[in-house]
Amino acid sequence: MNRWAYLLARILQMIPTLVVIMILVFALVRLLPGNPAVAILGDRVTDEAVARVNQELGLDKPLPMQFWIFFNRVIRGDLGESINLKMAVTRLIGDRLPITLFLTAYAGLLAAVMAIPMAVLSALKRGTWIDNLIRAVFQIGLSLPVFYVSLQLLTVFGAQLRWFPVGGIGPTPASNFYFLFLPALSLGFYMAAILMRSLRASILEVLTSDYVSFARAKGIRPRLVLTRHVLRNAMISTVTLFGLSIGQLMGGAVITETVFAIPGVGRLMVDAIFGRDYAVVQGLTLAFAVVIMVIFLLTDLAYTVLDPRTKVA
Amino acid sequence: MKRFTPLVITLVVSLLVGTGLAQERGGTLTFGRYADSLFLDPVLNDANLDIWVLSSLYDSLLQPTADGTGVEAGLATDWAFSDDGLTLTFTLRDGIKFADGSAITSQDVKWSLDRARNPDNGIWSFTLASIASIDATDGQVAINLSYPDPTILAALAMFNSAIMPQQLFEAMPGATDEEKAKAFAEKPIGSGAFMLKSWVRGSRMVVERNPFYWDTGADGQPLPYLDAISFEIIPDDATRILKLQAGELDVAEFIPLARIGELRNDSRLNVELFPSTRVNSVLMNNRPELPDGSANPLSDLRVRQAINYATNKQALIQVVGFGIGSPMHSYMSTTTPYYVAGEGYDYDLEKAKSLLAEAGFAGGFTVTAMSTAGSQDDLALLTALQSMWGDAGIKLVIEQLDNATKTERYRTNNFQMRTAGWTNDINDPSQITSYFAVYATVESLHTGFQSDEVDALFAASQSELDTAVRAAQYERIQEIYMAAAPIVFLYENPYPVAMSNSVQDFVQIPLGVYIFKDTYKSN
Repeated sequence: MNRWAYLLARILQMIPTLVVIMILVFALVRLLPGNPAVAILGDRVTDEAVARVNQELGLDKPLPMQFWIFFNRVIRGDLGESINLKMAVTRLIGDRLPITLFLTAYAGLLAAVMAIPMAVLSALKRGTWIDNLIRAVFQIGLSLPVFYVSLQLLTVFGAQLRWFPVGGIGPTPASNFYFLFLPALSLGFYMAAILMRSLRASILEVLTSDYVSFARAKGIRPRLVLTRHVLRNAMISTVTLFGLSIGQLMGGAVITETVFAIPGVGRLMVDAIFGRDYAVVQGLTLAFAVVIMVIFLLTDLAYTVLDPRTKVA
Repeated sequence: MKRFTPLVITLVVSLLVGTGLAQERGGTLTFGRYADSLFLDPVLNDANLDIWVLSSLYDSLLQPTADGTGVEAGLATDWAFSDDGLTLTFTLRDGIKFADGSAITSQDVKWSLDRARNPDNGIWSFTLASIASIDATDGQVAINLSYPDPTILAALAMFNSAIMPQQLFEAMPGATDEEKAKAFAEKPIGSGAFMLKSWVRGSRMVVERNPFYWDTGADGQPLPYLDAISFEIIPDDATRILKLQAGELDVAEFIPLARIGELRNDSRLNVELFPSTRVNSVLMNNRPELPDGSANPLSDLRVRQAINYATNKQALIQVVGFGIGSPMHSYMSTTTPYYVAGEGYDYDLEKAKSLLAEAGFAGGFTVTAMSTAGSQDDLALLTALQSMWGDAGIKLVIEQLDNATKTERYRTNNFQMRTAGWTNDINDPSQITSYFAVYATVESLHTGFQSDEVDALFAASQSELDTAVRAAQYERIQEIYMAAAPIVFLYENPYPVAMSNSVQDFVQIPLGVYIFKDTYKSN
């Protein structure tokens, strides 16, 4: 099987997974107590208003029929309309998902930039004060809650030093490298801490392996041994962790998006759950599922590049 | 004489600065909101997030006065009732236009109000229920009432009575009124002081000055003074305040009460506590039996009164409100017309204990209150009550529920107690009274309170044009309600808004609505 056939097979495998997710998500949001009409109307709720809203939303129909309508729409790329925002869910996702994806990717990039050199340095200087210092700093990153780090960054670099804006997004996509630096940093720092520890341990393990000793014995320059033999092999487990962490980051973005006033999908999801905005919860869950599956797919593909033995799984 | 020179200079300078405080024109006001608007249709919306900004985009025949106590001319210059009180005739202002430059006609007025009073359209049509028909003639609109309605003027100054351009609205895509409304609300055209320029949902809404707005400022030029307002959505309280302190915002709404003292010490900022119609209470289920069949001690009047006596409102205001607020002496706020302060339930633990003993609960009892999960305000309030009521032997169990669940349980009367906040939407006591005290509306906020006398007085007050008689009716309703204690009366509190010192004449009226037309920024 070549790489393209593998890719196609993997993509086809995603379809049944998505259908199962659709059923689960449809059932789950309806198992929540309190229907959308009540959530919408709040304290001004009256029985007539509930009946009217239920009818408008099609919530007076039997559940299997509601699912059938939902399923047919999804196949045609229609995720329905937000009850609270009166907008097509596809448009909402189209507006907001790119911001969250950008933030996540940016955080991942910053995490890699922080974690990889520090992990190498830490491993090479094992047991020295440099190693201890690096590990201590990243340990702090793991221990502090994201919202606390976020607020401190905002206070110091935003409000006091005025180097960065205090939250919000930029007017153009490119300007977001500047506008979203602090939120990406606070998310990325946490991720970097996890990656650094894993990568450092892998490097230490690989450094003691036979093929590294052999490469050194052959007289290959230490720098080449490090990049070609040590890092490449040590990266395999870290890439898995990276893929998993990106998925986690998307979940963790809720807090970051709230503190930094970023209009991404994290906040949208929380609002939708509290507002019982069924269509938005369903649509976003599907979108999240697709994104996570694509990330895992990319992670798997990265193995085939890093480790030739896993080429045809 | 020499030593007086500095004094003279100071005097002269301060006089100059004083006269220099004339309204300045131009600039963009950046306004930090905790959440974005949802649906900018005056009739079909149902959230304060929309209501509080709609008046900046849409104008109505009348508008609320800035102190919130009355109405003043809006798109109409004059209005008069017929002798029988059944016809209300408005004369439209000359030359009024929508924000796109097209003329506002009496037909637009008729169409807008007919749409607003249609019971199929949204939840606000009750405010215009007395209207039987509307006649539009050249420059005049006659509103024919099916019964004399003392609330009609206040209702016509409400957001849902906004005048919309019929032709533009009807030209929108969609088959139903709601579909057209959705399309129209994306880029609404009204005749308010501002018009929507751009809107990135969840992030930023920019409104710019409407060049066709009818009102003029102190300098004789058309209002508004500001070129634009940029509403920035910043859900996190701490971030919103930081952004204000960093100078990135001119105004920040919903300042947590805990932060008021600190912000007042910041010389660059001005913290306003606008009088509101917000009242905070704990609703009690007054029914003898709960849905699960268990007996409910709260059905005993003496128990409900005892709980009220065991509640130290002043201490609550200190602990929960950081000293901001005042105890309730009626179910309605002091800012509501016809408010009369009742004797109320001043803190008296001994009286609470003796009432409980009389009711056969000398040993106390356990009661459960629903709170909104994640709401720090709810939790702080209920834990304070827990300790106060504990002194009287009442054990309060706090049940944390998400909002939708809480509201569903409330709606089905499946609760013993819950926290409740209320803000009026109309400058009249009828709305709050209908919800709090009239059984037919929503079982008196689902407390189950029912008084034939209140129901009769309320029905009579709804068509009573004599203000003295109406005031007496409301005085009696408040008296009966206070004595029956269907709720735990807590406190009312203002709207806290923090702004830069450069922001002048921004107003939030007691109904919560923001008024930006007279706002300006001084340099």
